[in-house]
Amino acid sequence: MADKLIISDREFGSRLLVGTGKFASCEIMAAALEASGTQIVTVALRRVDIENKNDDMLGAVDREKYLLLPNTSGARDAEEAVRLSKLARAATGINWVKLEVTPDPYYLLPDPVETLKAAEILVKDGFVVLPYINADPILSKKLEDAGTATVMPLASPIGSNQGLKTRASLEIIIEQSNVPVVVDAGLGLPSHAADAMEMGADAVLVNTAIATAAEPVEMAKAFKLAVQAGRKAWLCGPGAVGRRASASSPLTGFLRDE
Amino acid sequence: MATLKINGVEKEFAGGIPATVAELLGHLGIEAATVVAEIDGEIIERARFSETQLRQGQAIELVRFVPGG
Repeated sequence: MADKLIISDREFGSRLLVGTGKFASCEIMAAALEASGTQIVTVALRRVDIENKNDDMLGAVDREKYLLLPNTSGARDAEEAVRLSKLARAATGINWVKLEVTPDPYYLLPDPVETLKAAEILVKDGFVVLPYINADPILSKKLEDAGTATVMPLASPIGSNQGLKTRASLEIIIEQSNVPVVVDAGLGLPSHAADAMEMGADAVLVNTAIATAAEPVEMAKAFKLAVQAGRKAWLCGPGAVGRRASASSPLTGFLRDE
Repeated sequence: MATLKINGVEKEFAGGIPATVAELLGHLGIEAATVVAEIDGEIIERARFSETQLRQGQAIELVRFVPGG
C-alpha cells in the first residue's frame, strides 16, 4: 500500500524534505541526502562569488534523483521574493519554489503580509508555491485560498533545534488544512520529527539538525526512520490519552484471598 | 572607460566590455551551466547567453544555486 505524499501534481515516497545548507563538505552533504531517503532538497540563490567562482557545492546534488526546491531566502519583501523565484525558474526550468520572506535577522521569522502578497503573485504566474510561515492558522487558510501547493509552518526558529514550540497552532493548521502541511524549521531531533508526523503533519523539512550533527549521515538515517515511524503511528490510529491508569494486566485471579 | 556593474561592483574592462553574456562569463572564468543572469533587472535565459549583447554601464547580476535550507 503506497502512502504517497502528493504535492501539486507530483507524488513522493519520502515525507522528509532536507535542506542542503551548513554541511561541512559536499561529500558529507551528498551522503546525508542519500541516507535520508529524501526526494526534495532545498537550495538558495546567491550572487556568484567572482573571486571564488567555480566553488559549486551543489555539483554533488544529483538532479535526476532529487527535486531541487529553490528557496527565496534573503528576500526582505514580496518584490525580492518574486524576483528570486523568477531567477530560480530561469535557472532550472522548474517552477517550484519555497517562498521564504524573512527580513528579521535575529529570529528569521517569516513576514506574513509579504509572504501572502508574493504567494498571490507567484501562483498567478504559474509557480508551485510552498510558503514558509509562522504557525498561523488564519494565514495558512489565506495561502491555501490563494492556491499554494502546501503550507510550511515553523516549529521554532530556523536552526534553533527547539522542536515543536508552536504545537498548539500546528494542530489547528493540520486539522483545518486542505493542502499538505510540511512542518519546517526548528526540528532538532528525530523525536521532534516523529512527533510532528504523529500529529498528522504530511511531511517535515529538516536542515540544521542533520547538517550540524556530529555524524550527519547517521543523523539523516535517524530522521528517515523517525518520519516513517511517526507516519505509521498516525496511520495506525493511536489509542486514547487518559488521565487515570487503565490496567494492562488482568484485574482478576490475583494470588490472594479477597 | 568601459565598465559594467557586476554583482553590485563596478568593473573596468581595459580591452572594452565583452560583447555578450557568454563572453563575459568566459572572461570571468565562470561556468555558464550553473549560472543565471539578470541585466538591468531583466532575466536572461541561459540559452540566450551567446546572443545577448552587453552595453556600457549595464548592471549585471550573476546568480547561482548554493546550499540552503
